[in-house]
Amino acid sequence: MFLAVNGEKVEHRGDGTVLSLLAELGTTPEHTAVTVNGDLVFSKDWKNFKFNDGDTVEVLTFVGGG
Amino acid sequence: MQTLPDWLNPEPWLNTCVTAADVEQALGAESPDESTLAALLAPAAADFLEPMAARAQALTRRHFGRTIQLYVPLYLSSWCSGGCAYCGFASDRQTDRHALEFDAVEKELSAIKAMGFEEVLLLTGERSAEADLDYLRECVRLVALRFHNVAIEVFPMAEEEYRSLAEAGCTGVTLYQETYHPETYDRMHRWGPKKDFVQRLDAPSRALAGGLRFAGLGALLGLADPRYDMLALYRHVRHLQKTHWQAGLTVSFPRIRHEAGGFVPPHPVDEKMLAQIIFAFRICLPDVPLVLSTREGAAFRDGMAGIGVNKMSIASKTTVGGYGSAGSKEGQFDVSDDRGLDEFCAMLRAKQLEPVFKNWDGVYRLT
Amino acid sequence: MLKLGNVEFRSRLILGTGKFSDTETMLKAIEASGTELVTVALRRFNREKPGDDLCAPLAKLKNVRLMPNTSGAMNAKEAVRAAQLGRELSGSPFVKVEIHPNPHHLMPDAIETWLAAKELAADGFIVLPYIPADPVLAKKLEDVGCAAVMPLGAAIGSGGGLSMAEMIRLIIRDSNIPVIVDAGLRAPSEAARAMEMGCDAVLVNSAIAAAKDPVAMARAFALGVETGYAARQAGLMPKSDVAVATSPLTSFLKQDGSV
Repeated sequence: MFLAVNGEKVEHRGDGTVLSLLAELGTTPEHTAVTVNGDLVFSKDWKNFKFNDGDTVEVLTFVGGG
Repeated sequence: MQTLPDWLNPEPWLNTCVTAADVEQALGAESPDESTLAALLAPAAADFLEPMAARAQALTRRHFGRTIQLYVPLYLSSWCSGGCAYCGFASDRQTDRHALEFDAVEKELSAIKAMGFEEVLLLTGERSAEADLDYLRECVRLVALRFHNVAIEVFPMAEEEYRSLAEAGCTGVTLYQETYHPETYDRMHRWGPKKDFVQRLDAPSRALAGGLRFAGLGALLGLADPRYDMLALYRHVRHLQKTHWQAGLTVSFPRIRHEAGGFVPPHPVDEKMLAQIIFAFRICLPDVPLVLSTREGAAFRDGMAGIGVNKMSIASKTTVGGYGSAGSKEGQFDVSDDRGLDEFCAMLRAKQLEPVFKNWDGVYRLT
Repeated sequence: MLKLGNVEFRSRLILGTGKFSDTETMLKAIEASGTELVTVALRRFNREKPGDDLCAPLAKLKNVRLMPNTSGAMNAKEAVRAAQLGRELSGSPFVKVEIHPNPHHLMPDAIETWLAAKELAADGFIVLPYIPADPVLAKKLEDVGCAAVMPLGAAIGSGGGLSMAEMIRLIIRDSNIPVIVDAGLRAPSEAARAMEMGCDAVLVNSAIAAAKDPVAMARAFALGVETGYAARQAGLMPKSDVAVATSPLTSFLKQDGSV
């Protein structure tokens, strides 16, 4: 399926769970927060939550800030 | 015996040894606190009255300009069941008991308005059948129709009762703890509801929570060690500044003087000490109005106006009524400055001080 | 001890982690400062620049808590969302509410900040709002449950120092919660001055990150904060600006002690 991830169209070839998307992107799950269509998806739900085609996903981490 | 709450207890700042050097430090304090006040109240500071006065004058000018706010007291009733040892209206005193009927109140208000006042302080004794909350509320309503500020100096009450007065147009409460020293307080208030120290202490807070905008605090100088009471008074003000940050606070310095009933104050405060206290408060509470009433004589009031003191009553009657008609025979205390309003204002102007009767117009108030 | 919410801190220096030239320098500066609380910002994960990601390096620091900020948010709604994401990511209850709609002067939006702080405090966050040095706003934020207030010293990154000193003094005077000067400090002496004035802590970022030697500057700021705090505890001798009147003001007082 195709997803909009961090503003870019991305093809997801995994099993449609958050965990599998993060593995594709190469993030460290403990250091990532995810929203789907504007809503926060808690990490405890990542194994079960399934994307729908066309979902808007934000994958966030911390960077330096004041 | 009740112990003082932590926020009020002045003990940690008493009995510290204050030297001339400490006083000089305190004089210039940028962020004054209890130790600043303690230093300025100490015997060592008595040698520094002139620099204290100069600093008090500078701070008064900075925060209030060269203005003196004027108000007038109206005693509505001398009925009182209380047993205050020092008061002319105590229930065991032989004195006229009288409460103004509403049309008499109107006559008084017309006379007061004609003099030019815009701020009236209404006084009664302890809650009585003749002057209860309903009576008081109606009087507040009558005054609020014609004056910009209506304050009350009456019996402590519940928050909802203060709220009902606020809704009737009351803007402020004045309530002196008399003394913050519990043992002295208990001794001086021989019987009646006023024996409850804590209920009185918390009343200004209830009044502010109930919607009154202003609270005037004070202690009756002469009852207990003035340094104790003045430090506790300062802490009371600071506490209310932090817990009711939108409130307008004022501090008064009533001093027991000669009194018809012959009460002799155990800790008499002379004029020099009173001046020292007022200067100290101006330095430590630079933006809080400080009030001097007509308990004090003309020469003292003239000297203090603008140096620390920026709010005063004048042309006062401490009898029930007395403005629109002959008042009751005895007043609560003897008025020492019996000048008329015009003469007093002329004195102020000669000292380059402007008498102010109201600070703003109440026309847009929503009550 | 500095108490923010229910957490106690020995260090009164809070560090921002932005603007450092590289992560290693940032980590060394954090260590040198002795800080126990650092701010971080949320950004999209960037595949091309994995080195920007701070989570892994910060996780290595002992005794340092994270405080996500909400920078990038333009209003309360966005700030609340950013805070929730930050809490999810860090596990930390701390949040610095920071809403600056104008990207030039970066001045905080008082109204949106209050709205966000109210909602976040009710949701159990330990809220530290970044605000203009406004004494009324500070009390309103205290009223809705903030753990501290963070008035700016001067515009972010400006190095303008304690330009808001008088206002900050008023905030300190009437506050029941810690007051932390955040933004605009340029030199450790200014941090010391803020502490001497009565601030409970300072937050410093640009002054350290942009210094020639950030690690040494971090240490210098730590010393400045300690010095200023110690001086205040010791009781400073105040300036004297007593004006002496040309003719005596107190001649009217009865000198004989009569009552």
